[in-house]
Amino acid sequence: MQTTRPTDSAEQPTPLLQTLAGSEQAAALSQKNAALADESASRRRWKRAVIVLPILCVGLLIALVLATTIGSVPISAAEIVKMTLNSTGLFHFRRTWGDADEIIIFQLRLPHVIGAALVGAALAVGGVLFQGLLRNPLADPYLIGISAGSGLGITIGFALPASLLFFGFGQIAAFAFVGAIVAVVLVYWLARVGGRTPVVSLLLAGMVVTALMNAIQALLLYLYPGLQLRLRSVIGWLWGGIAVQDWGQVGTAALLILSGILLALSFSSTLNALALGEEGATYLGVNVERQKTLLIAVASLLTAAAVTIAGLVGFVGLVVPHALRLVIGPGHRLLLPASALGGALFLVIADLLARSLIAPSELPLGVLTALVGGPFFLYLLRRSGRDYRW
Amino acid sequence: MVNTLLQLESITFGYTDQPLFAGVNLALAAGDMAALLGPNGTGKTTLLMLATGALHPQRGRVMLNGHDLRSLPRRTIARQIAVVPQTFATPFAFTVRELVGLGRTPYTSFLGTEKAADRQAIEEALEATGVAALAGRIFNELSGGEKQRVALALALAQQPKLLLLDEPTAHLDLKYQIGVLELAQHLNRERGITIFATMHDLNLAARYFPRLILFQRGIVADGPPVEALQGRLLRRVYEVPVEIGILHGAEHLSILPPTSSSREQHTVPEHEPKQPHPAIHVIGGGGSAAILMRGLADADIPFSIGALNLGDSDHALAQRLAAEVISEQPYAPIASETAERVRAALRQAQAQIICPTLIGPGNLVLLRLALEAAQEKLPAILLEPSSAAFPESTHLPENPSTLARIAARDYTNGEGLAIYTALLSAGAQIAKDVPAAIDLLRAAVNSSHVAR
Repeated sequence: MQTTRPTDSAEQPTPLLQTLAGSEQAAALSQKNAALADESASRRRWKRAVIVLPILCVGLLIALVLATTIGSVPISAAEIVKMTLNSTGLFHFRRTWGDADEIIIFQLRLPHVIGAALVGAALAVGGVLFQGLLRNPLADPYLIGISAGSGLGITIGFALPASLLFFGFGQIAAFAFVGAIVAVVLVYWLARVGGRTPVVSLLLAGMVVTALMNAIQALLLYLYPGLQLRLRSVIGWLWGGIAVQDWGQVGTAALLILSGILLALSFSSTLNALALGEEGATYLGVNVERQKTLLIAVASLLTAAAVTIAGLVGFVGLVVPHALRLVIGPGHRLLLPASALGGALFLVIADLLARSLIAPSELPLGVLTALVGGPFFLYLLRRSGRDYRW
Repeated sequence: MVNTLLQLESITFGYTDQPLFAGVNLALAAGDMAALLGPNGTGKTTLLMLATGALHPQRGRVMLNGHDLRSLPRRTIARQIAVVPQTFATPFAFTVRELVGLGRTPYTSFLGTEKAADRQAIEEALEATGVAALAGRIFNELSGGEKQRVALALALAQQPKLLLLDEPTAHLDLKYQIGVLELAQHLNRERGITIFATMHDLNLAARYFPRLILFQRGIVADGPPVEALQGRLLRRVYEVPVEIGILHGAEHLSILPPTSSSREQHTVPEHEPKQPHPAIHVIGGGGSAAILMRGLADADIPFSIGALNLGDSDHALAQRLAAEVISEQPYAPIASETAERVRAALRQAQAQIICPTLIGPGNLVLLRLALEAAQEKLPAILLEPSSAAFPESTHLPENPSTLARIAARDYTNGEGLAIYTALLSAGAQIAKDVPAAIDLLRAAVNSSHVAR
């Protein structure tokens, strides 16, 4: 019988095991050579990580100072550094600047620049959280309805005549925050089926809520005469731009965003496990449904806080994590802090460009980030067909 | 004393209202290496998922070392049970080392800081699966066989007591199929890791797994390959004729798909004496008919059975083996419509077998129907296995110990016993075991056939 041969050979267990081990050794050797030739990816990543975090820190500091110097009134970087150090009370440099300069720096530019850094960090970390949660490197912090919710909130804020203050924020900012949170809660509630929140229903509910809120927003803009007069302001918010008036607002945003980032760091292990899918993460001991709820809450809070002081700034949450993944790999223990720093750096520079490119006029910040992010997004899409498995 | 690691206790599960399987019992002892076999869509992977605790049974429970999986934290479970799923993929470009490191998730803090013990476990897992040289490579760029070994390494890094593998040889070429199974066997023998795998390839399963569980919406057979891989069982479960034998010079069973000639042969019923299919009705319940049903099924004798209450231990098996099952609501006495269905079945039958079930007011009506049929000259066979409690029992029908046994399970104040006595006087024969019952059955059917 011709079928006897394969079974015959399978009937000599020890030689087979040896040949297998032998061939594996041979394969291992050739692989080792190959690995030595192009240096192992993990070692390369480790080396880069050691360099990348300090580079990002230094880069962010330089960008902060640079962004503060540039403006309608030129003030030198050295003066700004001295001014800042003097204000701590530990240093006493000789004053070569006037009181007006000090007011410009401390009351106008520094809150603005630090606000930009906070928004960038929040959006990038929010992006990492959503990408890890949805297992999709193309996910965006606005994906599950936040942009539409805050957009609607902003529109309603402009439609209301009264000018109210909430926790030191104007009603536009407050409505942006509330709109974002309402949208996420609505999406989460819609997506929840029998104690579980499947990713697909999360995305679908996100699309539905986005469409619905966009429609209501369009309807308001179309029918409400008061809004048509203020269309320029509305668009200003929708296209994004750092809008902080005082340190109180920066402080509140910083409290939300910094604690959000700290919480996010504690999810690195969970996010790594989720890269294997929800089932895989369950087998690794992750309580997937609970962690998912917490992740959505933290990511939404970060994004909503960013929206409150900057309107809708797109693509930061997409571009920054992805670029960093290419450099230091997808491990979230490094990716999360690196994204926070990288996002801050990216947005401080983008904000600087938005303010200075067509000075004295300003470009909307969201337009600038989209101009950079759009082409990058296309590049990711084209790459994803080759390198990523869904 | 064998140490039970994982126990599935009367598991019922279904994705819809209709259960996929019901009342499944299965125990895995520490050190077992068992394969779950069966056709597609009969619940193999689902059963494996229930064993992981990722799915929860609708009824019954899964016990890990005596604790209900439902009540254990996921982290605790993940330190004992590792799973290698059928598809193992990630959208992100993790290196092999990073991915295997995820196996330490149930041991590390929420920050995921690796300690020396973690690093050692990862190194060992990489070594044991032969992927140490791949540690620095990007996982998504590996071949299928390499990926499967990385998935195994990740599971090993969890240092599990029980390793669950879902189709570990799917999508692999022969070399890697053998490699993965050799590795599983090695882990089982050298490290005592209990292994439970779903398998499609019967030959590979027979070759590597000392325990095979044939599953088709319930456990059809459970034992070493020689017991589980019987032609009749496989033909029934997979619905194709197969040939089983030991190939020239080999030690293990081999299963061959049908050749075109054997397929033709199969279309002609192949049981030795060409006799018409007997129509048999069985009265049982409470597990008393289980062995008989398996015997009849293995002899390819179609039978009807009933009435059985839903949830009765005979009911689940009957649904797989019997040609017709007459069912009654759980824990309810036999209703008159149900009794009519039994009467109809008995009218069509050529013989009836009454199993040694407990006699209570609920099922007394069945015995009355049996007596009625027997008095209308339907051959009746009473299955009365001689138990250890009555060692002196002989085959004589009027043996008082047979009647004593019947009396002992009669909870109707002698009414049941009276019917049995009447049955015997109407010509019912007593069979001591299932083969004897089947012999009596064939004789009765042949004579009645001749008589007609």
